Amino acid sequence: MSPIGEARIKVPDQIKRGEVITVNSIISHPMDTGFFRTAEGAPIPAFFIKNVVITYGEREVGHFEWTSGISRNPVVTFTLKADREAPLTMVWSDNHGGIFKQSINISFVSA
Amino acid sequence: MRDRRTFLRSFAAGVAGLIAGRSERLLAATGVATGPEDPEVPNEEVARILKGLFGDRPIRRGHVDLDMPIVAEDGRVVPVIIESDLPMTPDHYVTGVHLIVDHNPDPHLAAFHLTPELGQVSLSTRIKMKRSTWVRAILETNTGEVWADYAKVLVTLNGCG
Repeated sequence: MSPIGEARIKVPDQIKRGEVITVNSIISHPMDTGFFRTAEGAPIPAFFIKNVVITYGEREVGHFEWTSGISRNPVVTFTLKADREAPLTMVWSDNHGGIFKQSINISFVSA
Repeated sequence: MRDRRTFLRSFAAGVAGLIAGRSERLLAATGVATGPEDPEVPNEEVARILKGLFGDRPIRRGHVDLDMPIVAEDGRVVPVIIESDLPMTPDHYVTGVHLIVDHNPDPHLAAFHLTPELGQVSLSTRIKMKRSTWVRAILETNTGEVWADYAKVLVTLNGCG
């Protein structure tokens, strides 16, 4: 399994200016609820991504508030109106202070 | 998307039928409907969450499509797709999408705060479900309207411990 916080963002290979694109993301994280125990009976504390912030260029375009109800290794897909060439950045924060960042450049195919 | 949903529902119902041998009896026993159906009255906790989010504003069904499997074999990983035909323009847009799973330990599972820069409302993720229950996708617009769609999901394996 990938180390905690390893993240990937995927956008289409060829993007036209003004197009609404689909953005896929995944981050490696256990998303422990705090309700389970180990095989030895020790409780596993809650450990989960609670906040995701999406920035396109300088502007925040969305943020998500999560609980441990999101499945292990969280995926989220959303859309973006690609109207400028700028980096798309996602920052995931967990309840233990872990902060994980990943970026991808939105650039257009030349006509 | 409505077509895909209908297909998924009928497909899932078919699979359930194969497993149970008598699909009609299974569907009747679990209260799963094939057409539009209103969710049961929210329990006390869900009612409190809804009141906190939307106050006394009416929650109307429409403009939202919550796409989930009719039978979730593994409650640890249940796919969710939420879409809306509402506009995402600077004047009229969806500000937030709330995902509520009635019988989960923490029913207000996720909130997605959106801006017009996303272009449209189309979200998907994977969630955990403790047991068979109604799931509510409720969205709010910048003008204060509240729209919802509901799905009843039959959970075979508890995904919450």
